[in-house]
Amino acid sequence: MIVSHNEIVTLVNKAFLGMHRETGEADLIANMVAELQMAGLEGIRHFNNASDYILTEQDAPIDILYDGVTEHAGAQELLTSTTIVFDVHGSSIACHLPAILDYALERMTDCPHIILDLHNCHNRWLAYGELIKLASKGIACVARWDNGSAPKHTLFVLNQGHSYPELYFFDDNPSSDYRTQDLVIELSLLNFDLPTYHRDDYSHRISSEQIIELHQQAWKSGIYVDDGEWQTLKQTATNILVENSDQSRQGAGGV
Amino acid sequence: MNTQNLNTPLSATLPPAQLLSQPWSHDSQITATDALCRSPNVVMQPERLGAMHQTRLSFVRRLLRKIDRESWQLTKHVWALSPEGFGHVIYRLTTPNAIYHLVVFCNEIADDERNDRVIAQKWDVTFCLVYGEVHEELLQQLQDNVPLQEAGRNSNMVMVLARANKSVRVFDHIVSSLAQGQQPDPEVLAQVGYILRTTAVYGNGKFGIYDFTPLKDDADFGQSFSVQMCAVYLLKQFSVDWVDYLAQQRGGDQAVSLHPQLKRYLGVGNATGLGMAPYLITHPCIVDQWLSTRERALATVLATPITPEPVHYLQKLLSRAVRHLDETVTINEPQQQRNAQAVTELTALMAGFKDEKPAVNGNGITGGNTDGNANQNAMALANADTWGAFLQAHNELSFEAQEVIIACLMELYPEQVDAFEDLMNTDENLELPKGKTIADLIEVLEQRYAWAIHTDFDSGDNAYWFWYRSEDKEEPRLGIRGQEPGVDKELPLDIARQVQRLYTALQDTDKSQTIVAFILKHPKYRAIARRVWTLGHRLMGDIQMNVLHKDALPMHLLRCKLSMFGATKFDPRSDRWVRVTLFQGAPLFDEIHSDEWLFPLLPTRADLNADTFINADIPVASPLVSANLGAQS
Repeated sequence: MIVSHNEIVTLVNKAFLGMHRETGEADLIANMVAELQMAGLEGIRHFNNASDYILTEQDAPIDILYDGVTEHAGAQELLTSTTIVFDVHGSSIACHLPAILDYALERMTDCPHIILDLHNCHNRWLAYGELIKLASKGIACVARWDNGSAPKHTLFVLNQGHSYPELYFFDDNPSSDYRTQDLVIELSLLNFDLPTYHRDDYSHRISSEQIIELHQQAWKSGIYVDDGEWQTLKQTATNILVENSDQSRQGAGGV
Repeated sequence: MNTQNLNTPLSATLPPAQLLSQPWSHDSQITATDALCRSPNVVMQPERLGAMHQTRLSFVRRLLRKIDRESWQLTKHVWALSPEGFGHVIYRLTTPNAIYHLVVFCNEIADDERNDRVIAQKWDVTFCLVYGEVHEELLQQLQDNVPLQEAGRNSNMVMVLARANKSVRVFDHIVSSLAQGQQPDPEVLAQVGYILRTTAVYGNGKFGIYDFTPLKDDADFGQSFSVQMCAVYLLKQFSVDWVDYLAQQRGGDQAVSLHPQLKRYLGVGNATGLGMAPYLITHPCIVDQWLSTRERALATVLATPITPEPVHYLQKLLSRAVRHLDETVTINEPQQQRNAQAVTELTALMAGFKDEKPAVNGNGITGGNTDGNANQNAMALANADTWGAFLQAHNELSFEAQEVIIACLMELYPEQVDAFEDLMNTDENLELPKGKTIADLIEVLEQRYAWAIHTDFDSGDNAYWFWYRSEDKEEPRLGIRGQEPGVDKELPLDIARQVQRLYTALQDTDKSQTIVAFILKHPKYRAIARRVWTLGHRLMGDIQMNVLHKDALPMHLLRCKLSMFGATKFDPRSDRWVRVTLFQGAPLFDEIHSDEWLFPLLPTRADLNADTFINADIPVASPLVSANLGAQS
C-alpha cells in the first residue's frame, strides 16, 4: 500500500512509545525508519524486526571497552585515528547511536578521523537515518557490517557534498574478521577515498542518485510499504492505547 | 468546573515576572530586537497564553492579505446538490502558481449522529482541498473516501481533509427566513456566529494525504497551517452559498439572498478538544517560533513613540473590542467573568483617553486630571513615551484585557508587524551542543526552567493527571493518577517532571564533565536534555506549564494555538474543549481586502438597512498604513 511520510513517523513514534523503554528517543527512531523506507530500504521491516530486541533488552548504558589512538597505513603515509570500541550489550543500535555519535563528534574537535567499533548490537540498518544527518554537519562517513545471510557484507559511504550515501552489497564474506553482531563506523573531516571501498566484487550497488530519485518519487506519489509489515507496525502501535470505558470517555472533557 | 484565578501562576516558584526586561537571556547571539522583547517568564505563562486573541500575524489574517495581494480567484466549478441540499460541490481556486479545488460532500445524517468529538462516525459536511484538477476517477475516489474521514484512504493529491457539522438552529433559521423573503434575526446568529462548525481539519499526510515537507518552500502554502486555513476559508464561502441555494429551492421567487453584512459576519465554527494540546507540547520549536515572532513584531511596536494619530485609532479598536466581548456568548462562567472584567477595564481605559487635559508628554499626548480609574489611565498614557511604557503601565489589568490591548497595538503599525508574517516556520531539530559541560546545562535549567526544577512531583497535586490515548479512535484523554487505569501507558508529555528529574540527576554529577559524556552513561536523559538545551537557547522557549498539575488547564494550550490560527469568540464548553469561530467578520472572497477585521461585530439592523457594507463607525485600516499598501488594498 501507499502511505505518507508523516504516517510512518507517527505510527513508529507510537509503536516505540508503547514499548516503554527508558533508552531511545521515539522521534529519532521514527525518523530512522522513515528515511530508510523513503530510500526503498525496508525501514518498517527493519523496525518490526527491531521490536523484538527493543522489547526484551535492558535499559542499560553502553560501555567503552577501548578509547585510544591508532595508526594505520594510508595511501602514502601512516594515518592517525582515534578508535573507540563500544559494547552495546546486545541492544538495538536505534536506541544508542545518537548518543554515540554525539560523543564521537565532540571528540572530532581533536581528531579528524574516528573509528567507532560497536560490538554486540542489532538492527544496524537503522543507523542509516542518523548517519545521513552527518552530511549537513560536513562530516564524511563510512559504515560497514557483516550479516548472517546474504548479502554477507554491507558498505555505506557518505562523502561531503552528498546528501545520500553510496551503498554496496557483497555476497561473499569480505574479510577474515567476520562479525555479524558488530557495526563499524568511520567519521572523517576529509572525504573517504572511494576506490579503497569500491571493490569489483560487490554484488549490488545503490547510488546516491538512485536514492535521491526514490525520495523525489516518494514525496510525489507516496511511499510504498508492504501490507503485512504495515499491519504488524499498526498492531505494535496499539500497545500505547488504553481500553475504553465510560470513565475514560469523561477524560476527554466532552459531552 | 475549574475556577482558578487566572492571575495566579500554577507554580509558586516562578521568579518575579518583568515586562520589557531580559534578565533571562544568557545568549550572546541575541539581536537588538530580541533584547526589546518581553521575558519568557511573562509571555509563556499558561494563563497569559490562555488569554491570547487574534492578531494581524494570525494565520487567517496573513492568508487573506496574501489572497488580496496576489489576486487569487475562486469560482463555483460544480454545483451538484439535490433540492434538499445533499450531493457535492466543487470550488476552483486559482493562484498565480497553481490550481486547487475544494470538494464538498453534503450528507444527510440523523440528529443523534451529529457529534463534535473525534469518535463521531458521520458528519453533515465532509470536504477536502485538492491540488490540481479533479478528474472523474479522482472524484469517485474522493466520494468513496472523504465522507469516511479517518476510516478512508485518500489520494496524496488531497492536501486537507476535514468535516463539519451544521449549527442546526442557525442553519434552519437562516434558510427559513431567507425562503420567506426576510433576513434572519442577527441576534439568533450572534448566539453562534457560524453556519458550519468543523470538528477536525487534517493536513500533512494524515490518512494518506499530501505530506507537507515539500510545502515548506511553496509559494502558496509554505507557511504554517496556511493550507488548512485556506480550506476553512473556502468552507465559509460554501456555507453562505449553501443557505442561499436552499432558500431559493424552498422559497422560489419569494426567497432573498443573505445580506452581505451577515455573510461577512458568519464565520466557520470550530470545536477543538484535548487532542490539540499534545501538539503544543510535542512541537516546542514551532510554538517557540510562533510566540517569538509575535513578540519580535510586538517589540517593534512597543519601542515606537506614542503620537496622537494612532491613539485615536487605538481608541476605536478598543471600543470595537469591548463591543465584541459584550456580544460574545459563552456558557462558561469563568470565561463570562473574564470577558466582563475585560469590558470593565477597557471601558475605564478608554474613558481616560477621552478625558484630554493639558498634561503633555514628550510626544504631544495629553493626560486627564479627573478622579478614578479614568484619570489613572489618562495619566498612564500621558506619562508614557512609548507603547512599551503604556503597556507596562497597564500590567495590572487582567490578562484578557492586556491581550486585547496587545492585539490592538499590533494593528497600529501594519507595515512593522506584517514584516514578520513569513517567519513562522522553523527547524524542529532538538540537539545537544558540542564541548559544553554539565555546569552549562545546569545554568540553562536554572535560568530557563525555574518554573519546573523545584517542583515536588511526589506531591499529589503536582502529578495529579496522566495523559493517555484511548483505543476509542486514539482520542487523547486525561486520567487521575492512582484512580484510573492506564497510567502504565502514560504519554511522555510531562515535560516539567522530566526537566526536574534531569536537574536532580545532574546535582550528583561532576560539573566539569561534558554533557555528551554524561548522556552516554545516562541515555534516558538524552531526549529531555536536548529539548532543554535547544529551547533554553530560543527566545521564548517552552510553555511554562506543568500539565500534570491538578489545576493545569489544557484550555490555555488550546487557546494559544487557536489564537495563532486567528480564532475569535472563545466559548469553552469545559476545561478541555472549546468552540471558536474562524474568519468571522472576514471579507468574502469577492470583496477581499487586506484591511483590518479584528474583533468581529454583529451588524445592526441599521447596518443591514444601509446600502454600504462597511460599518461607518469603524475604520477598516490603520491611519498609519502607507499610501502604497493602501493602494494595494
